[in-house]
Amino acid sequence: MKVNRRKLLSLLGMSPAILAGSRADAEQKKKAAAGAASEPKYTAVSPKGTPPAVQLYSMAPRLDTLDGKTIYLVDATGFFGSDKLLEKMQAWFQQNMPGVKTVFRRKAGIYGADDPKLWAEIKANGNAAIMAIGH
Amino acid sequence: MEKMGVPAIPMCTRAYTELANLTAARDGMPHLRQVFTPHPVGGKTADELAAYLVNPDPVSGKQIMKEIIDDLTVPLTPDEKKTGMQSIAAGPPTFGPETYDSLQEVFMTNGMTDYLPIIIPTEEKVEAMLKGTSHSPDEVLRKPIQGVGYLAAQWGYTVRQVAVNAVMAGCRPEYFPVVLAMASVGPLGLFGSTTSSSSAIVINGPIREKLDMNYGLGALSPFAQSNATIGRSWTLMGKNLTNGGIPGDTYQGGQGNQLDYNNCVIAEDEKNSPWPPLHVQFGFKPGENVVSIFGGPDIRQGHGARGAGAEMAMFDQQISFMCQSMVGGDGVLGILDPLVANRLVEQGYDTKEKLSDWVYKNTQRTVKDFKESFLAYFHLYPLALQGREPYATWYKLPDDAMIPFFLSAKQINFVVCGGQANAFFQIANMSHGRSVSIDQWM
Repeated sequence: MKVNRRKLLSLLGMSPAILAGSRADAEQKKKAAAGAASEPKYTAVSPKGTPPAVQLYSMAPRLDTLDGKTIYLVDATGFFGSDKLLEKMQAWFQQNMPGVKTVFRRKAGIYGADDPKLWAEIKANGNAAIMAIGH
Repeated sequence: MEKMGVPAIPMCTRAYTELANLTAARDGMPHLRQVFTPHPVGGKTADELAAYLVNPDPVSGKQIMKEIIDDLTVPLTPDEKKTGMQSIAAGPPTFGPETYDSLQEVFMTNGMTDYLPIIIPTEEKVEAMLKGTSHSPDEVLRKPIQGVGYLAAQWGYTVRQVAVNAVMAGCRPEYFPVVLAMASVGPLGLFGSTTSSSSAIVINGPIREKLDMNYGLGALSPFAQSNATIGRSWTLMGKNLTNGGIPGDTYQGGQGNQLDYNNCVIAEDEKNSPWPPLHVQFGFKPGENVVSIFGGPDIRQGHGARGAGAEMAMFDQQISFMCQSMVGGDGVLGILDPLVANRLVEQGYDTKEKLSDWVYKNTQRTVKDFKESFLAYFHLYPLALQGREPYATWYKLPDDAMIPFFLSAKQINFVVCGGQANAFFQIANMSHGRSVSIDQWM
């Protein structure tokens, strides 16, 4: 059965003008889709560089206990408060784990720089390190 | 330390969580055990810092000292013991086919632009750009290197990859040798430190005329396609070629820097300058085409001389005055209108070197001011501890002793450009990085 939509809308108390609106809407959508379909398409080359492959390294074996061990507390970057934080950490160990020996060191050079002398000292005399990086 | 067989726990504030984890991954230990404190540490009292240690790590939720003890004693997992090579994806080699507007959206939402519309780098446009150089598209300017340092991932790039960015920036093929010369310098634009430093790019040689570069009125403003797009390419290359400019990862600039949009491209006015051009000072021949990269936090306006209205207004004194508020670790790039340069010659500075020397000797500060500066406390005091001069000596001097602001006159450079509308100048708190030949990239 063919439905007279205008009559149906009138019976529902709606203006048949809705039909005109929805028809305009539909026509507009049809035009947009047709426009998009006809709009030229392009392929763009990626501007990205080439990332390096990453060599994975195993972490160092962990200690069985911290008792009797020497832990270096290293201020690695010298940012505000790093030294104070590590002093408080040293105090915590003294109070709570007196069997742990802590050694405070400030890394030489600016924050990105290596300090081979310090690393060698830690390797020779320490069992672990905690490094305050910032900020 | 971990690679040396010593268990080591890096500790930083939670503000750097992402950077810390990404750095560990790039350095080959993606599962590195790290501890994070609340942010900041700087400015907190000793008692507040003590409280940090017995309260939770804001990232893991574990009490910090317990976390440290566990991180040093709990045996490694299989993942933490893994070795071998791991490749990283750079993303797809192409995007599309899509409409032009859709591609603009793709590039922007994937962080590959400066948030201004780009020239979409189609294969045709890239091929056209590559005609601007005799170098092979596959020539490697920088090899990928596994990450060291905390800022940029060490991505590599080729001539072709540089060309893609030059297209995006709106460069013409004839600008490409300049862009390649810049790319050969590295690191690229969008310097990632918390200092929000940026760049200035100085171009010398006959290429300025060939590319119709502006070095007259409005020399530093957007009045020439070459000036605008060459500078823009530096930022796009920084973002894309070396994976830079990712906030929280490879970019930590707290406030950022307006200069990052164009990187202050300066074509020197060699004709109207009373002095030899900048590249000649760096050892190049006058007829060579050279690009020089400078880096530092800012540029400020000079606006005339000391003693305005007097018979002998003193530009040297105004330059020195402007330098007093600088960071002090970076150098100076004075950008002088020809009127100022010629006036300085009248003052007796018949060479740039004489002017640099005078500024160096006459720009000083007290030891106290030096020691209390951010730069000295974080960067130079550690060097003094190592016995590095002049810092080791400076730190032993009394607080009221006067010391030079700069390390040497060589840190102080000058270029000439401007339309002679007024005797004004600008001073960049920037250090010279490198100067390279553009001609080798033709």
